[in-house]
Amino acid sequence: MDTHGTNVGFGQAALEHIDALYGYAMTLTRNSTEAEDLVQETYLRAASAANRPNGDSNLKGWLFVIMRNAWLNQLRHRNSGPRFVDLEPDEQPIDEAQESPHVIYIRKLEREQVREAIESLPDAYREIVVLRDIEGFTYQEIATVLNCPAGTVMSRLGRARGKLRKVLSTWQTKTRIRAV
Amino acid sequence: MKKCDDIRGRLTLYLDNELQGEERATVETHLSECEACAVFFAREMKLLEAVRNSGPLHEASPELRDKVRQILSEGRRAPVAVERRGSSFTWAAGLLVLLLPVLVWYIVRYDPAASGPSSFALKAAETHLSHVRGELPLEIEAPDDPQKVSSWFANKVKFSVQLPNYQESSGQEKLYTLEGARLVAYQNDYAAYVAYRMKDRPISLVITSESVAKPSGGEQILSRGLRFHYNAIDGLKVITWSDRGLTYALVSDLEERGQKSCIVCHQGTKDQDFIEPLKPH
Repeated sequence: MDTHGTNVGFGQAALEHIDALYGYAMTLTRNSTEAEDLVQETYLRAASAANRPNGDSNLKGWLFVIMRNAWLNQLRHRNSGPRFVDLEPDEQPIDEAQESPHVIYIRKLEREQVREAIESLPDAYREIVVLRDIEGFTYQEIATVLNCPAGTVMSRLGRARGKLRKVLSTWQTKTRIRAV
Repeated sequence: MKKCDDIRGRLTLYLDNELQGEERATVETHLSECEACAVFFAREMKLLEAVRNSGPLHEASPELRDKVRQILSEGRRAPVAVERRGSSFTWAAGLLVLLLPVLVWYIVRYDPAASGPSSFALKAAETHLSHVRGELPLEIEAPDDPQKVSSWFANKVKFSVQLPNYQESSGQEKLYTLEGARLVAYQNDYAAYVAYRMKDRPISLVITSESVAKPSGGEQILSRGLRFHYNAIDGLKVITWSDRGLTYALVSDLEERGQKSCIVCHQGTKDQDFIEPLKPH
């Protein structure tokens, strides 16, 4: 029996990915209520699935595929596309013991700027940046989640990062000007 | 120069660990020899590190974690009671009436699900049939007076019943009417029974405390943090759900009306946004 052969084993392994799934759900929906519903829908489908992946390495990607399919199904039933609402800023704990207050402050500002830049990207770009750079999926895994060729992943990722670079450099230039 | 262009064209693959063996070695060798490309590489690397260090962008709340834990612990067989949310009971009560048109849609799309109905759903179906057969006459008749019905239930049941006048507040065309109510026995206590009518077809709403009955079984649909359970019982369509400490069952024998029934019922209202997530996928 594989590691997910029992509900307990599967549940423990699947629960480890809840933050990643919620983050992806927020990327897709941009709405915390819809994101929570989508996460529950994903786990419900996963728990009901007859064929679960073998091994932890496939589990995360499999859950992401389920979530994206569930989201696409929801979109198909709607007349409009995803709705856009403000995201609540998310404070992350940092290791302050090793860094001076000034460095911590600068890093916090930088992190916030990067997050804002990611959120400002068009949907498709934001999604692929989250999948690759936040969640760490390989090109092939992303291709599976997005159901597209790996070449498309590479080109879209390149364009997304180009856009991200442009946004960040614009903001950093403005920050420098204000500082002067 | 051509070599530099070639290397920079593959830098994304290199940075993402998508290059292996000889290809990877070629890039690394060039970076060690070409200062311009090394600077370019360092700049790209800095951007990627900043992006990768910005995560996670969001974290699941403890409440969501608990709900998911419950889903996973019950595995593939069991339903999940979703905790209530919202700011007022009136909102929850409004949901009851909102669901009347959803029922019509459900009749069209219903797909028999794996697990059976809850005892509360069975009770609601039985109550509906008894009322239709004339065995359970209404104890209060209050045509389109939800306030009167709500007041009548005060001190008769151990929970608060506040029926909204949804159609009036939403400004939609009047498609169903409130007829009246009565008490029905359930689990050694009283549940609230409310009778509606839609185009001459009876619709029943049974309400009890969530501590007495929890919805389960049937096809489950999530919407706005609530989980709805759909069952077919003796030719009736039953929707059960819990919200704010109460459990509801909506019963009807409405026949298929076609896929546009949702739009018909909600013409001129803002409910499409609410209805869509309720549809099974």
